[in-house]
Formats: sequence, C-alpha cells, structure tokens
Amino acid sequence: MIVIENLYKTYNEERADAYPALKGINLQIEKGSTVILSGVSGSGKSTLLSLIGGLDKPSSGKIMVEERLISKLPDLHASAYRSQTVGMVFQHFNLIESLSVEENIIAALIPLRLPLNKMQKMTQESMELANISHKASQQVNALSGGEKQRCAIARALVNRPNIILCDEPTANLDKANTLKFIEILKTLRQLGKTIVIATHDPIFQALDFIDQTYFIENGSIRSE
Amino acid sequence: MKNKILRYQAFVYFLTLTLWKQKVKHTAAVFISILIIFLLSAVLFVSSSLKQTLLHTVKQQGDFTVTRLKAGYATQTPSSWIEQIEQIEGVTALTTRVHGRYFYQPKGKSFLVVGIDFFDEQNSQLLEALIGKMALKSFLSQESMVVGQGVKNFLTAHFYEDTFSFKTPSGAFKEVHIAKQLDESTNLIANDMVIMPIALAREIFGFDENEVSDITFNVPNEAEWDTIITKLHLLFYDVRILDKREIQKGYENMFNYKGGVFLILYLVTLLTFMLILYQRYAMVYSSERKEIGTLRAVGWSIKEILLYKFYENVIIVVVSFTVGVLLAYGYVFLANAPFLKAIFLGNANLSYTVGFTPVLELGLLGSLFLLYAIPFLVAVLIPAWKIAVTPPKEAMQ
Repeated sequence: MIVIENLYKTYNEERADAYPALKGINLQIEKGSTVILSGVSGSGKSTLLSLIGGLDKPSSGKIMVEERLISKLPDLHASAYRSQTVGMVFQHFNLIESLSVEENIIAALIPLRLPLNKMQKMTQESMELANISHKASQQVNALSGGEKQRCAIARALVNRPNIILCDEPTANLDKANTLKFIEILKTLRQLGKTIVIATHDPIFQALDFIDQTYFIENGSIRSE
Repeated sequence: MKNKILRYQAFVYFLTLTLWKQKVKHTAAVFISILIIFLLSAVLFVSSSLKQTLLHTVKQQGDFTVTRLKAGYATQTPSSWIEQIEQIEGVTALTTRVHGRYFYQPKGKSFLVVGIDFFDEQNSQLLEALIGKMALKSFLSQESMVVGQGVKNFLTAHFYEDTFSFKTPSGAFKEVHIAKQLDESTNLIANDMVIMPIALAREIFGFDENEVSDITFNVPNEAEWDTIITKLHLLFYDVRILDKREIQKGYENMFNYKGGVFLILYLVTLLTFMLILYQRYAMVYSSERKEIGTLRAVGWSIKEILLYKFYENVIIVVVSFTVGVLLAYGYVFLANAPFLKAIFLGNANLSYTVGFTPVLELGLLGSLFLLYAIPFLVAVLIPAWKIAVTPPKEAMQ
C-alpha cells in the first residue's frame, strides 16, 4: 500500500524563481491496484511519480510505501528501495545506448549482488515477460521505440518489484505499440503488482482494469 | 569467501563489459595519456641512462684531482708534488696524467688527448674497461694511439687512415700510428678521445719531463675527504682540488636541469589535460551524466557509482601508463631515441652515435605513475560524484 500525506515539492526552494510543483497531495493506493495519475504537461504528475519512486525528495510531507517512510530515506536505503521495491518505466526509456538489451537489464540487478548466473536467469525471465527476449543481444540504439520500451519494462520487472511506476509510457509509441504495452500491463496486474501510471493519454481512461484515476492540476489533486 | 567473490563477479562483469563497449568514448583520454606518459618516460629513460653511464665513469676515476694554479688559471703541475701528497695518511693509488685539447685548426675541431702510464695499475684497470684486452707490447713498440669513434671517423674522412701528424709547440710534426678504435659503447665519454703513452702526450703538448696536467689519487675513507682537502691547501698555496662529489654533482645538475625543463612542460600539459578531462565529465559530456542518473534510478547507490567509475578509470590509467612506458622503453633503448637524443646531447664537437644502457628507476616510474594517476582519477571522480549526488531524476534529464 502507498500512502501519501500532505506532500509538497517546490523546485529551487531557496531561490527567487522557486516553483511549487506539488501542493498538499493526499492519496492512498491499495496493494495490487492499477492507478492513473492524469493531467496536462507540467501539472505535477511526473514529479509525484518520481517522489514515490525515490528518485527525488519532497519538500515536506510523507510517503509511506509498504509501511515504510521513504520520503526521508538516506541514500543507501533509498538506493536499496529503488533496486528492490519499485521498478520504473520512463517516458524516454533511459536506457544505456551502448549496451545490449540484456546488459541494460542486468545493470538493474548489480546492486543486489547476486551470482551472475542467477542474474542471467532473472534477466531471461523478465525479457520473456516483456516480450523482448528475441532482441536480447541487440544494441539498444538499434531498437525501435516500442522495442526500447519493452526493454525498459523488462528492466523495471527484473528485480521482481511489487510496485511498477510508469511515466508517460505511451508518449513515444505508435498505436500498435501502445496496445502491446496495455497487454503487458494486464499481465502485470494479474501478477498482483501495484501499478501507477502518470499519463495524459486518453486511451487509459477507457481501460476496464483501472481501479482509480487521480486528476492532477497545478500540483493538486482535483476533486471529481 | 566464495560468496564474496560471487557478489563481486557481476560487478566485475559489468565493469569490463561497459569498458569494452564504450571503448570509443575512452579512446581520446587513453591516447592523450599514452602520449604524455610516453614523452615523459622517454625523457626519464634518456636522462637516467646518461646519468648512470657518466656516474659509472666518475666512479672509476680517482677520488681527487689536483692541479697547479698560476694566478687563477690551471697550468702544468710539477710531478714532484706526488711525493708530498704520498706523505698524507689515507691517500692511495696516486697517479699522474697528461691531457689537454688538441685543436685541428683547419676544421675547427678538437680532440681530447690523454697521456697514460700504461704500466700504472690504476690506469691499466681504467684502460681495460675502455679498450678491452690489447697487445700492449706491440702497441708500445711504435708511437701509437687509441682513438674514439668520432676521432676515427673524422680522421678517416680527412684521409688519415693509419697515422696522424700532431703539430708540437716547437712547430715540428709528430706522426702517431692509429692502433685501435674504441668501442661504440664508450662514445658518451670517449668519442673525441685520443689515448696514448704519457711520454708521447708530453711531447705533443710540450711538457717537461717533470710536469703533468694533474695528479689523481684515492682516499678510501670518505669521512676524511674534507681533512685531506685542508692538508692539501696547507701543503700547496697554488692548488686546485677537485673531488669526485663535485664532478658527480656537475653531471647530475646537467641532466636534472634538462629533465627539469621537461618535467615543467609535462606538468603544464598534464594540468591542461586534467582540466579538459574535468570539463568533459562535469559539463560537456551529457551521456555520462545520463548514464550515472540511469544507474542511480535503477538502484545503484552513490558508493557503487563511485566504485564503478573508480575501477573503470583505474583500468584506463594502468593500461595507458603501461603502454606509454613500454613505448618509451622501446623508443629509447631499442630505437636509440631519435630527436630526443639531440636535445639531451646537443651539438658535439665531433659527430657521434650513442647507445643508451637500459636503466629502470622504479622509484621514479612509481612517482610518475602517482603524478599521473591521482590527478586523472580526481579529474574524473569529482564530476562523477557531483552527478551521483544530484537526484537521479535531475541527472537523467
């Protein structure tokens, strides 16, 4: 379960050009549910997602993930949280272009310090789940947008996290690849993962397996 | 232990993998590093080799050289001084020498003529090192000389194949037979040298029979050297005393000065290179920033990022350093350091070729490694650390 209480995030806090991105967010996301954070560009949904993912720290407020306060974790614990509890799919995929699909996925397992053969086995499983195992040895910069995204999904799944966070996952995909992504989401939901998607793509509004949609406007959740 | 190895197995695998896959990214840094290390190592090898050869020669010479002064300039020394010096406690291996520069006026060149008592034990050791075994009887049976390679080449070029006629102070010519040529390995010290019996040298320079150029001797107890100098000054009011330490210092200064100039150039180059490297990692190189941000986002800690960057660059540093040093070794000791040799040896009186004796000063190489590795690692790790401590979200943008 993810619990967010009175969450604020202000960029350039100490400076004259301080910008409040999130203003007093409160929400709860049940374990195993699929949630949409919807809103226009700049509304604050990606910021909220990165705070849940431990990629940044809030200015104030609390984020509890599986009864663990993650909003104030020191680096070592925040890194462990990112490598064990959450898997993130980014809008621009954020893959290391010079490496292959398999190597990009293995990179996410290095902090777990597992034996190499175990890592390779886990990588294979996640590639199969994301339907990208046929491109395992292909260098990332030679992949199409859809393939890059499936590689990013495989990387997000490889550490077997309970929570999957997706930031604008379909922004760089065509229709066919968007539908494929939705199919993968369905599989993940069936596996009992908690899924949070930040998007302004209207296609997600029509999906029958979405449990809740939060509309974010100017850094606050809009009441419907 | 096995578990620990297994835990780092994947890290090492990833490290070597990224190094290999991103080799193009590191090419420029490795290439410039090799070039800098090569240049400085070559300079160090040349200066160490020359210094060692010259110091080795100094070691074989007498501890003290005594010359008579007349109003401040060196003049012929009475050979009778030898008896007075012999009286000083602790003095051994006294010997006299006759030497001087013989100018060959038509071409403006000069030879260093050294007259030696071939039957003196100390001289015979020195000679054997320089000349090797020689049939002394046949050598002394006629007025002969042994010449350095530069002298031999010069004389041959001017049609003096077997003999050369020296002009004595009286205006008469003294024809001397060229008995042997010194080996090329002695060129550094004996390229322009002519070695002949002492009596013959006396005749060429117009010395009286009781006159020599200088007197050399040893004092085995080094603690007594300063006392010996005082005693010599008490014995002779008109004496110049040169001890081995001064000659040694002179040689060291000569090569340290040249090496020092190169060291300053190296430091300036290194500093510029490190600044470029720092800038590359800190600002310009956005893919580096994105890569660190991505690794942080998937769970790498700051410590793991720094370890990864540290080992990655240690490998680059070690490879560049090893290649640079090996290339320099080949350039100096196998190819005989073309270009650099001219800078160190300058324009010689007689042209010559010098072979460098291989010398590896491990302490100096170690210092060079640290002088290169530490700034390199600092220039890379500080920007990497700066990126690693920024929130991954910001670093990935």
